[in-house]
Amino acid sequence: MGEHPGEFEQIVMLAVLRLGDKAYGVPIRREIEKRAGRAVTVGALYSTLDRLEAKGYLSSWFADPVPERGGRSRRYFRVEPAGIEALTSARQMFDRMWKGVRLA
Amino acid sequence: MPEAGGTPPRIAEKLLRRLAPGREGEIIAGDLREEFESRGRIWYWSQVLSCAAVRLSPHRLTAPDLGQDFHYAVRVLRRNPGYAMTAMVCLALGIGVNSTVFTMVNELFWQPLPVAQANRVMAIGRESEDSTCSYRDYLEFERRLAPPAGAIFSGLLAYDDSATSLDTGEVSQFIMAEAVSANFAEVLQLPVQAGRWFTTADEQRGADPVAVLSDGAWTRRYGRSPTAIGQRVRLESRWYRIVGVAPRGFLGLSPPHTAELWIPFAAQPWVSDLLANAGERERPRVRVIGRLAPGVGMRQAEAALKAVDVQVRREFPRDNTSTGPLTVAVAAGASMPMVREVATPIATLLLTVTGIVLLIACVNVANLLLSRSVVRQREMAVRRALGASRWRLARQMLAEGLALAAGGAAFGLCVGAGANVLLARSLPALPHIGMVNLNLHVNWRVAAFAAGAGLLSAVLFTLSPALEHSRPDLTNSLRSDGSGARRMRQRDIYVVAQVALSLTLLIAATLLVRGLQHAQNMDPGFSMEHRLAARIYVSEPEYTEASGRVFVQRLLDAVRATPGVRSATLSLTTPLNMSDSVCAAVDESTRPRRARSDVVIPGYFDTLAIPILRGRQFLASDGAGSPRVVIVNETFAARYWPKQDPLGKTVWLGCDTKQKRTLAQVVGLARDAKYESLDEPPRPFVYRPLAQDWAGFLAVIVETVGPPGEFTAPLRGILHGLDSTLRVYEIETLEQYASESLWKVRWQATLLGVFGGLAMLLAAVGLYGVVAYGVAQRTREIGVRMAMGAQRGDVLWMVLGRGLGLTALGIGIGVFLSAWLMRVLATLLYGMSPLDPVAFTTASLVWVLMAMLASYVPARRAMRVEPLVALRWE
Repeated sequence: MGEHPGEFEQIVMLAVLRLGDKAYGVPIRREIEKRAGRAVTVGALYSTLDRLEAKGYLSSWFADPVPERGGRSRRYFRVEPAGIEALTSARQMFDRMWKGVRLA
Repeated sequence: MPEAGGTPPRIAEKLLRRLAPGREGEIIAGDLREEFESRGRIWYWSQVLSCAAVRLSPHRLTAPDLGQDFHYAVRVLRRNPGYAMTAMVCLALGIGVNSTVFTMVNELFWQPLPVAQANRVMAIGRESEDSTCSYRDYLEFERRLAPPAGAIFSGLLAYDDSATSLDTGEVSQFIMAEAVSANFAEVLQLPVQAGRWFTTADEQRGADPVAVLSDGAWTRRYGRSPTAIGQRVRLESRWYRIVGVAPRGFLGLSPPHTAELWIPFAAQPWVSDLLANAGERERPRVRVIGRLAPGVGMRQAEAALKAVDVQVRREFPRDNTSTGPLTVAVAAGASMPMVREVATPIATLLLTVTGIVLLIACVNVANLLLSRSVVRQREMAVRRALGASRWRLARQMLAEGLALAAGGAAFGLCVGAGANVLLARSLPALPHIGMVNLNLHVNWRVAAFAAGAGLLSAVLFTLSPALEHSRPDLTNSLRSDGSGARRMRQRDIYVVAQVALSLTLLIAATLLVRGLQHAQNMDPGFSMEHRLAARIYVSEPEYTEASGRVFVQRLLDAVRATPGVRSATLSLTTPLNMSDSVCAAVDESTRPRRARSDVVIPGYFDTLAIPILRGRQFLASDGAGSPRVVIVNETFAARYWPKQDPLGKTVWLGCDTKQKRTLAQVVGLARDAKYESLDEPPRPFVYRPLAQDWAGFLAVIVETVGPPGEFTAPLRGILHGLDSTLRVYEIETLEQYASESLWKVRWQATLLGVFGGLAMLLAAVGLYGVVAYGVAQRTREIGVRMAMGAQRGDVLWMVLGRGLGLTALGIGIGVFLSAWLMRVLATLLYGMSPLDPVAFTTASLVWVLMAMLASYVPARRAMRVEPLVALRWE
């Protein structure tokens, strides 16, 4: 406890939150590329998603197969209350740290 | 870069499925698929590889302390250097011989040409044939499939390898030369070290003859001097100007032969004569190699070639229509099907034998590990008691095995490289088939093979100790004196297996050596002692038939007049070295069949001491104008005129039944002899008189009073005294020819002898280990026995008996195994039985001696056991 999620983990959770019920692999990556301006490989993304799910921050479920994926199904993600709490506490921690700091 | 449509690369998809199995992989594949069309192939690959990077990163390893295992393994080995060294040396020997044999096999079968983008260079052959097509057909292929008109190949070249002779003043030597089309270097993208390759001007009829030297020839003959360019060499009486030197490492297109030089194909006089005759479609024959044009696949090229082949045959009909289909394969190793056929059984035998050697080495290491495992039983039991899983312990053993194997493989490669050098030097050269020097190089393929062999052996030899440890009997092992009876039995089985396997190799080697001796003592049907032969060339352009006849008569007179010469004669062939053949039929209607043949002069049968059983020899009166005569051998007579008198019968000579054949009368019956090699079956043979059948390529056979070898220099002196530019090839004694004809068996006997000896050595080390270990284990028991009054001799016999008992069992099994296996050698034994009792007994006795030696050392140690010390063991 008391350990905050890392920067990339926060970015991923925020992307999932932003996408709402459309959050699966492809849009999550696009969202991160668009907003955070960093390229993400599938390998890195899924290993983070799996880790977050193992921590209980995220949950996922499988949708029906679709033809444009070569008949494969999508895995959708949702941020769980524990994830919200972790994000909030991380943000509060940053707020506290920033308070009163003036950069030149 | 976006690529329109299509499906993702299948290999990448497969890889992904490997990296992320099950549902997870499906999801990732689906994501990638959605974006594939807009992002393209390169992106797809990079994404898949990103998964690999994540999977293989240390956090995700399924076995997180693998590194620790290795660290620990290396520490254990460093603490026990004797044990580690013994194991690694055993493995190094096993892996070393394997990599040597693999080098040979690789050279023959898989080594690609040393040219740029070798995987785009295709050997085009024809099923069950030695050549691809006629030169004219090759020109058609090139015109239709290569630029400017065709787009399948970026170029097609033709070549023909032939043994030819290079004249270097005193001696003429057989060498391999390749006659090639002018685009040779262009198609293969070969540079030069000096000078230039051929141009189309070089292959025009009547062009100034030019040649390109190999790196080897440049080094040996010209000391790598740049002045070699512009010098002239004489090949079969034609002078060639050297215009270039091929790159180092390029040995031509016909391994295992190494080409000494290259000449333009079409400019050779015999070729341009054939090409001048527009009706000739089938000759000269060439082999074809092509470089695929960019973007063209092998199958596409094959289809195009076959189509053009059919077209060409339709457009230019010919008599010979029964030809196999064209074949296309990446040019690697010996592309001639014939060489591959000859080499396959030899390669299989060698790989099997060295595989056995490696197996024996593995068993040795397994034995070592087992004996160490007893020492470490307590350590393992403690670790297990502290909660280490079985799998964890087994993995530890495997890590140790792998560390040993890695060391073994590294040493093994060094051993292999050394053995290559040794082998290339010590194996007999085979000049008559153009195999002058073996080329054995250690390359990445060989290194990969050694690594694979090491890995495999690590698994093999750690398997049983690892299993052993994975279920140690805790309570028993924590006490100090684990009895380990079961382990002992296992080690005994190993030793018996080693003895049996190595004995099998030893018996095989002994059999081959015996076969060789047997062959050397075989009656060749003529006398070899005190005889030598010189081969000379008395033909165009230096000699006509008439001037040649005059010259050889002068030559014979001169040789016969030399002191120390008993007799001298002439023949076309040299016995047990090369032979000629003619078509013969005994009546006009039957189809002629090939029979071996020789052209000789009167007195030939006296010089070689071949008895004429009936009739007469050739006489001076059998001249050009008189009726044609022949002498046949017993097998010929028995085949064509069974139970009849051959004298006076007639023989038609000539292959073409449509043309007029020569009719000859049999005037004599000669006893059967061996003609090409000592191991051949009886063959029908026809002798023709030189007076009626001129041959410009002759052997002068001389019977000397003294040792024939000493007559070599005087004979060469006489020959060159009569004609200083006469082309004289090798001068050898008939015994040398006979011994060379046995090269195949000699090779195999040499290799099997070396490998069999090595196997025995390794197995003896294994036996020593087991007996010594037994002694160490029973020190206490021996002490008790001696305290109770046992004599030293009793102890000695107890220990020796154990080693010999194991050996006896191994020998028994090995003998049975050999009796079953040796049939494969039957063809190499010159009629000797593969169950030759002498070979079996000798090999077994050698092993018994070896076993005595291996058990005697530990037995002596047992004898010296001090009862008091032994009893205070704990």
